[in-house]
Amino acid sequence: MGDNIGKVLDREGFKYNFTASASGTSAQDGVIKEQDRLLPIANVGRIMKQILPPNAKISKEAKETMQESVSEFISFVTGEASDKCHKEKRKTVNGDDICWALATLGFDDYSEPLKRYLYKYREMEGERANQNKGSNGYENNIANI
Amino acid sequence: MVMADEEENGVSIQLEFPKGRVKKIMALDKDVKRVSSEALFLVSRSTELFLQFLAEKSAQVAIEKKRKTVNLEHIRVAVKRHQPTRDFLLDELPPPSQAAKPDKPTQPAGRPKLDPAPRGTRCIDQFFRKPEPENTAQAPGQPPENPAQAQSPENPDQDQAQSPVPVDES
Repeated sequence: MGDNIGKVLDREGFKYNFTASASGTSAQDGVIKEQDRLLPIANVGRIMKQILPPNAKISKEAKETMQESVSEFISFVTGEASDKCHKEKRKTVNGDDICWALATLGFDDYSEPLKRYLYKYREMEGERANQNKGSNGYENNIANI
Repeated sequence: MVMADEEENGVSIQLEFPKGRVKKIMALDKDVKRVSSEALFLVSRSTELFLQFLAEKSAQVAIEKKRKTVNLEHIRVAVKRHQPTRDFLLDELPPPSQAAKPDKPTQPAGRPKLDPAPRGTRCIDQFFRKPEPENTAQAPGQPPENPAQAQSPENPDQDQAQSPVPVDES
């Protein structure tokens, strides 16, 4: 049971044999763990159930494929945004880069809902920052990877 | 957990996916040095939107094919129908299995019905069937006195099948 923890999940068709290069994600044997490269299947299944009709079911294979697909989507969008940053000689990927990447890759339908989410997110972050100022705290908004 | 004013506007900043996991997947790209919290939030949210979109389209395909269970083939069709998704995802999907079952079975399950055998042909089933005793008046618990009598006349080969194999005790 525990022997498989560090091994690469070789689901047929998906090319995820990453060697660990980024700090914080390396496994002991130099291979990315399954839980580090896939989103939780329970969350994936829950979102799918919310969308599907009440009497519909989802096969295990379909859930696993969706799990792989969303990871691929994240890598795809991040890669595009990262390329833009690299060309512009910037080290930090920001929200505008993600929006630009989504539009470039053909997912412009997402731009409107994402703008609304971002507006709300900034409001909440602003409130948090004000609270932290009152308690002499400082929240760094950049996530080092 | 979602605040009341968020629910009123129909906008919630509560994410469905854990931020840490999303960050780890983003970090698999070694060119990515740093990611702002806004970028992380947008990636998480857009991933949710993408999953909802793909689930919806796959469900539509399943309904078209009169299926209640969404499976891999339905996802594949949904991916093919949306150009941006097809560009990055179609090659990543597991290949369709050679022995893939068709959506509708061509013939009903179970043993196929064969033409009746010509008269006089012995069926293999008869060889394995227990012989019925001729003397029906006998008590049900007792075996027939002479097993040879219970033999059906049309199967003389059954003698060998019924007789016990001799055991070499030496």
